[in-house]
Amino acid sequence: MSEQNQSFILRAIKDVAIGNISKPQITDPHDIIVQIGQTGICGSDVHYWQRGRIGDFVLNSPIVLGHESAGVVTEVGSSVKNLKIGDKVAIEPGVPCRHYTVFAATPPHNGTLSKFYKTASDYCYKLPDHLTLEDGALCEPVAVAVQICKVGNVKAGQTIVVFGCGPIGLLVQSVAKSYAAKKVIGIDLSQSRLDLASSVLNSADGVFMPPPMPKKEDGTSHTTDEESEHSAKVAQLIKDKFDLGQGPEVVIDATGAQSCIQTGVHLCKKGGTYVQAGMGRENVVFPITVACIRDLTIRGSIRYTAGVYPQAVDLVACGKVQPQKLITHRYKFEEAEQAFETVRRGGEDVLKVMIEGVQ
Amino acid sequence: MATQTETKNNSFVLSGVKNIVYEDRPIPELKEPYDVLLQVNFTGICGSDVHYWQHGGIGEFKVKDPMVLGHESSGTVLETGSSVKSLKKGDRVAMEPGIPCRRCIRCKEGYYNLCSDMRFAATPPYDGTLAKYYILPEDFCYKLPEHISLEEGALLEPLAVGVHITRQSKLKHGDSIVIFGAGPVGILCAAVAKSLGASKIISVDINQDRLDFVKKFTAPICSTYVSQKISAQENAANIIRENDLGDGADVAIDASGVEPSIQAAIHVLRRGGSYVQGGMGRDECTFPIMAACIKELQISGSFRYSQGDYATALNLVANGSVDVKQVISRKVKFEEALQAFEDIKDGKGIKVLIAGPE
Repeated sequence: MSEQNQSFILRAIKDVAIGNISKPQITDPHDIIVQIGQTGICGSDVHYWQRGRIGDFVLNSPIVLGHESAGVVTEVGSSVKNLKIGDKVAIEPGVPCRHYTVFAATPPHNGTLSKFYKTASDYCYKLPDHLTLEDGALCEPVAVAVQICKVGNVKAGQTIVVFGCGPIGLLVQSVAKSYAAKKVIGIDLSQSRLDLASSVLNSADGVFMPPPMPKKEDGTSHTTDEESEHSAKVAQLIKDKFDLGQGPEVVIDATGAQSCIQTGVHLCKKGGTYVQAGMGRENVVFPITVACIRDLTIRGSIRYTAGVYPQAVDLVACGKVQPQKLITHRYKFEEAEQAFETVRRGGEDVLKVMIEGVQ
Repeated sequence: MATQTETKNNSFVLSGVKNIVYEDRPIPELKEPYDVLLQVNFTGICGSDVHYWQHGGIGEFKVKDPMVLGHESSGTVLETGSSVKSLKKGDRVAMEPGIPCRRCIRCKEGYYNLCSDMRFAATPPYDGTLAKYYILPEDFCYKLPEHISLEEGALLEPLAVGVHITRQSKLKHGDSIVIFGAGPVGILCAAVAKSLGASKIISVDINQDRLDFVKKFTAPICSTYVSQKISAQENAANIIRENDLGDGADVAIDASGVEPSIQAAIHVLRRGGSYVQGGMGRDECTFPIMAACIKELQISGSFRYSQGDYATALNLVANGSVDVKQVISRKVKFEEALQAFEDIKDGKGIKVLIAGPE
């Protein structure tokens, strides 16, 4: 008879419920079992809930949601050296079987919104005493931000422009500052989010709200060319406002919005780097000739690679990145569906929503 | 010694310094779902095998208990674990003989050759491949295309070493390269350099036969130089002048491990050039550190092979870029293995292959 392991399960599109799955057992000597303490919600969790798929990953059978978690170790396998029972850990939720990768809460693999979660010990990082489990759970989006900066080759003394002041955009700005970037600029359409960047998190040295396209006199909607032209103009406005000269060394898009992608590419200096971190429409109108003529390096960034998660934990531990300032809502485990609904409806006031572990 | 028909897993064992015995070891069993049981078909001899035999150790690795030798092998699949998807019984494979832990940061970065818990065949305390049977995980077996023989498959290991050394040097198309040492590794580095589009390859050795071989093997791109008992700077100056290397070579590789070659390699490089230490010799040497400093050289070590090297080696053989068959001097039966070791110790031949027990 298996012990209770209450979990938040996505049964089918838009159909979530709290249910019981079997308690995980240690099967590999390197495994550990963690009692989950805190879980943050990511846009991808909401997307699977509402749409049942992201690209090639399709929901075919129920999965447990969640992947931004921290907890306390309750059991360790016989070969585990780095952790012991009672340790607080941040959990890196993508464990390759070391032949190919299994990522939590990506169909068909279960996520972390359970009481107990089993994972490999080398993917868990002990939290120093002064960090809470909320801090630990937020190491996941911090790791995403660290990876983005790694992919963009962000270095000390550079100027970085980040489109988007949502959780990822704000964390990318913070990480860039921790790398001693000379100037970090945050772009968003929401004044309150810009204020977060400039005053609360101090993640940006300057912020900017792009002006909307002026409505046409004849009332028709803008053509693709007109939108592209406007994006180029906005890029010039940003360069002028912040004295960016030829342009910043690195531009990071953390919105996925076509207008930001276009503006971002136009903003790049010759030989600069553009990183696509935000996820939006699968296909956009892209300034490919600018990319060509200016010899740009264009890279995508997804999740994190070797060494990144421990670096994220360090940045949070030493206070250089303060993700707990992003928490706007907190829910108990039984209220998980409400928590998801809060993220789904979104809005300026919703940044990071946390779900407490099963008590 | 039991006859072939009586033994189950006849193995060639180093039981002490300069002391080889044949032992019938237990047949290994599949343990992990990704394990593959192989029958070993051919094994080449490496200088390290000879060194363990003659000296009982290399650096910190000391042979404490009897150990099966050999690690340059090809084999045939006999059984596969429950998770194995890409291989089936009867498949012929090249065997990559070092299993890393897959958990440490080096493994995750792809530098699994630097894993501190590496279990490498015939590096104490791990048994090698000179036996009838051997177990490897699926992803360390490289299926040979139909037109590649098992003999060639056994050459992929030293070729992967050559691939790794050349990759460490960052040699690119059009570069000039000087390779010190025309033993198997130096020869294969030259072949890899040719496949990468090096504009000039100069092979350096004291042995004229080996130089003749490498020149033919990598024709028409390779020229040779016989090291003389003069200063390293003079040898280097000769190489530069005789080969029109201008400010010096773009890349220099040492595949000899001997001090005069290492020194000459540093002096033969142009400013900003790249040096790789591939050869293994004495732990310490007198090194032209100021030349390295003033010429702003990039200096790298090279150890075994890592992410992608074995697959690259297989491609080089499969597409005809490197004809490793030519490097095989002779093949011997399993019972004659000791004779093969004696030959290699005495410098006879380039690669000698030992057939697996029947």
